[in-house]
Amino acid sequence: MLSLWRKIRRTGRVAEPPPPLPEGERPERAALLGGSVQIRHVDAGSCNGCEIEIGSAFGPVHDGERYGARLVASPRHADALLVTGVVTRNMAEPLRRTFDAVPAPKLVVAVGDCARNCGVFAGAYGVAGAVRDVVPVDVEIHGCPPRPEAIVEGLRKLTGR
Amino acid sequence: MNLAATGMAAVVAIGLVTALLAAVVPARSAVVGVGTAVTGAAAVVAGAAALAGGSFSVVLPEVLPLSGVALTLDPLGGLFVAVTGGVAVAAGIYAMSYVDSLDLRTRGVQVALPLFVVAMALVPAAANVSTLLVCWELMALASLVLVVAEHRRGPRVASAGRWYAVMTHLGFVSVLIGLMVFVAHAPDDSFAALREAGGRLSPAVAGVVFVATLAGFTSKAGIVPLHAWLPRAHPEAPSHVSALMSAAMVNLGVYGVVRVGVDLLGGGTAWWWLLVLALGAVSAVYGILQAAMSSDLKRLLGQSTTENMGLVLVGIGAAGLFASSGEHTLAALALTAALLHVVGHAAFKTLLFLAAGSVLHATGSRDLDALGGLRPVMPVTTAAFGLGALAASALPPGTAFVSEWLLLQALIHGLPAGGVAAAIAMPVAVAAVALTAGLAVATFVKAFGVGFLAKPRSGAAADAHESPFTMLAGMGVAAVVCVVLALWPAGVLPAVQAAAGGAAVSGDVTLRLSQATGALSPLLLTLGLLAAVVVVAGVVRAAVARRARREARLWDCGGGPMSARMEYTATSFAEPLQRVFDDVVQPELDVDVSHHQESRYLVQAVEYRRKVPDRIERRLYEPVLNAITAWGGAGRRLASGSVHRYLGYGFYVVCGALILLAVTR
Repeated sequence: MLSLWRKIRRTGRVAEPPPPLPEGERPERAALLGGSVQIRHVDAGSCNGCEIEIGSAFGPVHDGERYGARLVASPRHADALLVTGVVTRNMAEPLRRTFDAVPAPKLVVAVGDCARNCGVFAGAYGVAGAVRDVVPVDVEIHGCPPRPEAIVEGLRKLTGR
Repeated sequence: MNLAATGMAAVVAIGLVTALLAAVVPARSAVVGVGTAVTGAAAVVAGAAALAGGSFSVVLPEVLPLSGVALTLDPLGGLFVAVTGGVAVAAGIYAMSYVDSLDLRTRGVQVALPLFVVAMALVPAAANVSTLLVCWELMALASLVLVVAEHRRGPRVASAGRWYAVMTHLGFVSVLIGLMVFVAHAPDDSFAALREAGGRLSPAVAGVVFVATLAGFTSKAGIVPLHAWLPRAHPEAPSHVSALMSAAMVNLGVYGVVRVGVDLLGGGTAWWWLLVLALGAVSAVYGILQAAMSSDLKRLLGQSTTENMGLVLVGIGAAGLFASSGEHTLAALALTAALLHVVGHAAFKTLLFLAAGSVLHATGSRDLDALGGLRPVMPVTTAAFGLGALAASALPPGTAFVSEWLLLQALIHGLPAGGVAAAIAMPVAVAAVALTAGLAVATFVKAFGVGFLAKPRSGAAADAHESPFTMLAGMGVAAVVCVVLALWPAGVLPAVQAAAGGAAVSGDVTLRLSQATGALSPLLLTLGLLAAVVVVAGVVRAAVARRARREARLWDCGGGPMSARMEYTATSFAEPLQRVFDDVVQPELDVDVSHHQESRYLVQAVEYRRKVPDRIERRLYEPVLNAITAWGGAGRRLASGSVHRYLGYGFYVVCGALILLAVTR
């Protein structure tokens, strides 16, 4: 126990200094949330590359939570969906239902190139389309996979902090 | 002839006429059902008259050789006669169509039902040992015929019948030994003479009498460790018979303990009652623990009977302990609680068994893991079982709450009374009663929630249908009694006090329980609870009405309709409890994982089996049964089939006997 405390004290704070507030338009409804956004992550058919980067974006270095974004365990608790991967045929309906389950006002963030435009999987059998084809998308984040900084930047567009 | 005598005469006459009609009339089931219900109603009248003070006594010397039949009905016996009658009314009405639907119409079974009721009503009215034992045996035989009524259904019924026959007769032998020792020290075998002689017995003889009769009577009441027959026989019997056995017959074991221990032997010493208290506490906790693990609906109810009889014995043990230390008011309070629990248990156990029978009738299954989803298709049965489950769970608007609360009061107030023994026993008993009450809630939540709510887990449960009217009426009778007992116990409390007074009086004690009746107002409690529910519901509704509402799909992780396989089963619901009580119940778990042929990493199926064996049974009964089997094996070697050898045996035995006679002369 003592060694744990010692370790914490020795390590100190590892979070990067916060970058300046991102440029670009902010979705209108994001302002209704008042700077605190609860997020449900949906893997619609991802290769898990984006998931690793999301994990990193909420890790100690980039610390997405300090900007008011937080991952939650159910769409019933969420304000926004964080969708990764192309939408496969099997996940199209569950994604739609998840979107329905989020209380209004709700937002959707498409993370990664697959979610934006199907990426390398475009035209493949089993792909129903990009996230935009299934549910309305408010914010898109580039990259395959996107860097954690990019994900944090996208989320800060929702929180406005 | 007063009302009690007329009632008992009617019980015997109507019961016997019904049995006779059952043997000759073609439309048996209706006749037997009505006859049994009327017999029960007569018993209720007789019992109530006796409780109101109209006791009677009659001796018929020519009916039985040697000692004759002697009947008397005092308030204590009257209570048990009335309870038996009440159960018989509900079971009789229920039997009219239940018997029609299942294959129970054979003549023997139909004749046995009214005889069973008559025998049960006569046991508490017996006024000498021979009458008691004859009625006791008649009751055992009639119920045995009824237990094996559905023997065509499978070998388990026959096995249950064998267990029951052996255990009930061992119990009978034990009672017989005890009472014979007792009678040997009295001028004759009437209870009056025994009561006279009871005070003069030496402690050793009195102890032998008490322990022998206790063993016999508790085996009938399904008390640990002589309970092994109960979870076998009660589930396998037809449901109205289960109700009669579980709600009326087991009570007579309690009656025997009270009659012999308190009334005839006059109280005895403290260790008797500590023994009773310990047996009761162990039975209560062990019974409800087994019930909580059980996934067979009727077996669960049977094990809950062991629990409730355990609670009754806790009350009786506490009463005896208080009486032996001179605290007669407390003793009366504890005994009142115990007898009130007998009455309440009879009401809700009848209701639960009849509702379980209705489920069995509609689905053909007693397995909770295959039931569920019965609420929309069997609304009345579901309501009846729900009411019974509430009554059994010792929660405020329930029947068992009143008596268990009284029992707890008696035990807690008993702390300053008595010596070291009471100081140790009472807190342990309080803990046992509290633990039992908690586990009972879990058990009945499981039985009701898994058995009746959510989605059906099998085709049979999905295709269920509501039972015919008479079955519902039988349940209705029991349900009304449950509600009355729960909301207005003050109505029956004087009667129960009269019965307790009739038994506990060993001096001139006034039994006024002002503290009990004054503090106990379940009706107000229930009204308060209802008002609170209404207020909370109103506030929530008002709060919700102001906001916009939206119809939304139930969140099922987006995966599609929820299936019955996603529900809690009885086994999974009990799993946390099973973990907590791992050391006590010692379940046997077995997990089989089968893999796909192509790859060991792909799982094809996982099979999970759990068995909760009865540990007491395994430790206590199996060695005895194995020893008997070994003896049988040894005996078989003597009987080789050779006639010469058998003739030789006879020859040598005769020679031996002659030599013995010659030597001893």
